[in-house]
Amino acid sequence: MSKLALICLTCAAALQLSAQQPKFDPTNFIAVGEGLAAGMADYSLKDVYQLKSFPAQLALQLNTSFPQALFQGVGVGNAPGFPAMPVRVPGPGQNSVRSDFPPQLFVFNLAVPGHRVEDAVNRRPSAPIVRSDDMTQTVTNLILGYPALILKDKPLWTQYEYALQMNPTFAIVELGYFDILQAAVAGDLTQLPDATAFAANYTKIVQGLAGTGATVIVMTVPDPTTTGYFTTVAGSTRLTGAPASVATSVYGVNANDLLTVTGVTALAARIEGNDTSPLPAGSVVSASAIAQVQQRVKDINSQITTIAGKYNATVYDLNNLFTRVRANGVFAGQQFLTADYFGGFYSLDGYYPGETGNAVIANEILNLINTKYGTSYLPISLAATAASDPTVQFAVQVEGTIR
Amino acid sequence: MIKHAGIRQAGIKRYGVVAGALVLLTAQAAFGSAFAINELGVRAQGMGGAFTSIADDGSALFYNPAGIAFQKGFKMEMDTLAVVGLFRFFPSEVPAGTTVPTNGYSGSVKPHFIPVANAYMSKDISKKVTLGFGVMVPFGLSANFTNFNDGDPANTKFPGRFDGTRARLESYWFQPTFAYQLSENSAIAIGPALVHTHLFYEQSILNPLDDGKTFGTDVAAVLFPGQNPVEAANSIARLLPEGRFRLAGTSNAPGLAAGYIFKDPKRKINFGAMYRSAVTNHLSGKASFSFTSTGSVATFLPNAAPIASLFPTQAATGSLTTPATYQLGVSTSAYHNMLMAFDFEVQDFDRFASLPINFSQNSGTATPPERRIVFNFRNSYILHAGIEKKVKEGMAVRMGYVFDHSPVPDASAGPLFPDNTRNSFTIGASKMHGTTEFSMFYQAMFFLDRNTDVLANKNEFTNGLYSNFAHLAGLSMRMNLGGAKSGGRK
Repeated sequence: MSKLALICLTCAAALQLSAQQPKFDPTNFIAVGEGLAAGMADYSLKDVYQLKSFPAQLALQLNTSFPQALFQGVGVGNAPGFPAMPVRVPGPGQNSVRSDFPPQLFVFNLAVPGHRVEDAVNRRPSAPIVRSDDMTQTVTNLILGYPALILKDKPLWTQYEYALQMNPTFAIVELGYFDILQAAVAGDLTQLPDATAFAANYTKIVQGLAGTGATVIVMTVPDPTTTGYFTTVAGSTRLTGAPASVATSVYGVNANDLLTVTGVTALAARIEGNDTSPLPAGSVVSASAIAQVQQRVKDINSQITTIAGKYNATVYDLNNLFTRVRANGVFAGQQFLTADYFGGFYSLDGYYPGETGNAVIANEILNLINTKYGTSYLPISLAATAASDPTVQFAVQVEGTIR
Repeated sequence: MIKHAGIRQAGIKRYGVVAGALVLLTAQAAFGSAFAINELGVRAQGMGGAFTSIADDGSALFYNPAGIAFQKGFKMEMDTLAVVGLFRFFPSEVPAGTTVPTNGYSGSVKPHFIPVANAYMSKDISKKVTLGFGVMVPFGLSANFTNFNDGDPANTKFPGRFDGTRARLESYWFQPTFAYQLSENSAIAIGPALVHTHLFYEQSILNPLDDGKTFGTDVAAVLFPGQNPVEAANSIARLLPEGRFRLAGTSNAPGLAAGYIFKDPKRKINFGAMYRSAVTNHLSGKASFSFTSTGSVATFLPNAAPIASLFPTQAATGSLTTPATYQLGVSTSAYHNMLMAFDFEVQDFDRFASLPINFSQNSGTATPPERRIVFNFRNSYILHAGIEKKVKEGMAVRMGYVFDHSPVPDASAGPLFPDNTRNSFTIGASKMHGTTEFSMFYQAMFFLDRNTDVLANKNEFTNGLYSNFAHLAGLSMRMNLGGAKSGGRK
């Protein structure tokens, strides 16, 4: 009798364990994030790239709906390190800005360009929709507050609240990149996120999402200095055609500093025009600033990993991918993509990947899902993606070492 | 003498009214083989219910009405039964994030014990004719897996709620009986009955994996234009509020019980046969719906047209068929100065194929003309065996065994019927005090564990391990209000 009882108890325990085995369900897949998850590329957020953002490509492979707030070209959003775009109310003859009309009642890609982690938790849509003095609020309104803002008495959710309201089964958190990026491109360490506040807000998001029962994947924050936005002095030769010594001796750039897109463009123009005047502000980020940015990325990623572990979220190491692409490049079929500016992986802004770069990210997440949950989702064909990806097609193919 | 008789008659009348009221008040529901209740006599149940060939007390009206033909005088009996069901369900799969209680889900959330009461009376009106009247509940059900309030987070709620949360069935048989003694040793009886049935049924609706998708399909093009409609419907299903559907209905229908009993005093052996008819209960009542305040879609609907307006409270009808019962029994007192009895019982539960519910408001609503809840039960058979021994004058002890083969197939195992085949062991005793006999019984009901894995039930999360046990106990009081002394066995 006691043996029978033991068997029953064991069966019951086994059933309970199997009941708690993770199961992957992509039915309501939502993305919480900033410009990268939103599909920013070539300086703005626009439908041609949004439809190729890594969450969108992932949703296609997962065979699940993924409504997005699509924007007509020229797009919306500001790209750090580049001049801000003016915010204007559409004039007569112009159409709706949002290209999905009639609009989706809800969007599942909740990522908003320009959102820091604290924005994801606290910033909610507010009228009027278009704020001529505030691009981030305008984009927030257009993504999270439309059509709620034009309806009466409808809830205006923050990105975090919106995510919970979508009753997700699967959530990806891609936050923190903008927090670091803004400081890195400006070389302004005061803009680096406070690690404690970052952790508090990030915890709230992961805890809340995990509490819904959704499968949660959090992405580490990529180190912006590994992206195409930054070029080493030695690597500038590829784009300027002049020896690195010209940058150091003529323009006073230290050998260990990094040139920004603005800097490398200005350097090429000056060399071409025999102009020896100093490079404009924002051209160079010092080696010491780079080291501090990199350290903060490490700190934040350590926190993300800890938070993920606490709430049973899976970590996808996006920073590791960016580092690998920087070190080794990546093949897309026959095409070899590098992390260099015009290297094929990053779009024209230098830090947001192009279509193929997003496909590479999506494939790595698919592989992570398949490995962890025993699923068999097919990968995206990088060759096919690269064949129609302008970022790849217009890459500058140069012999020699990367960067 | 006349006065005394009058007082006694008044007492009898008062007792009858009180007994009847108690039956109606306490015969809420119980369980037997699926929803049959076979434990309606305390003395009988002490012998495992092997009583078809004995039928020598008031519960004969249930076990074999012909038995009252041998009970001379005026007799009244009240039997009460209390059931404590320990129903546990360990789901094999649950929605992501669901926290399964360590001890599984309980199907006895409230009430924790279920009372059932029955009242019987009989009186011989001639040497050969005896009349009887019984109020009993041969079919009943009380299942309650509602471990949640509607507003609770979904991942804390019982995951099988979309298959049902609560059910209560009470089928009262008001059964006048005419018994005729064919000879000194044999009798027949027939009891036309009025069967009053009350059904309450409750389940959660708008399951994101089932009917929620149907709803989502209808609105996918509007809410998520341009998206794949099937994928969009799946997503929308998770954005709907959760609802609960309740049906309460009653019916009155005719039923019939009949029996035959033969006693062979020379060989000290009895035979009995009993038949109780199937009853088709045409229920008439009300369907109602309620919805949670959650669900993002509901928030964006115009205030004038909330989801609840698609599911109006309305009149509804339904049809529920209870099975016919066939019993054969044999007993003997030829050995060891003990009474031994064996019964074989069949209930044709295959009649209980489905429960159709017909809604009255179909235009402009989401309530269809008919919703059919399919059960597809199979016939059940039950073996009863028991012994009784008189330990001294006026006192007897009993024990018994019951094997009850469940009519519930795996596909229908769920919160309404967490049933399986059972083995029961019973003990009982009776003691006379004057003209009144008091009896008690206890039954330990061991259910076989059932582990289900039915593909069709996957989205309702009712697959898993059903592990049940039940305590049953009863008390009865049988009064001899005139005529022959009660308690004798032939």
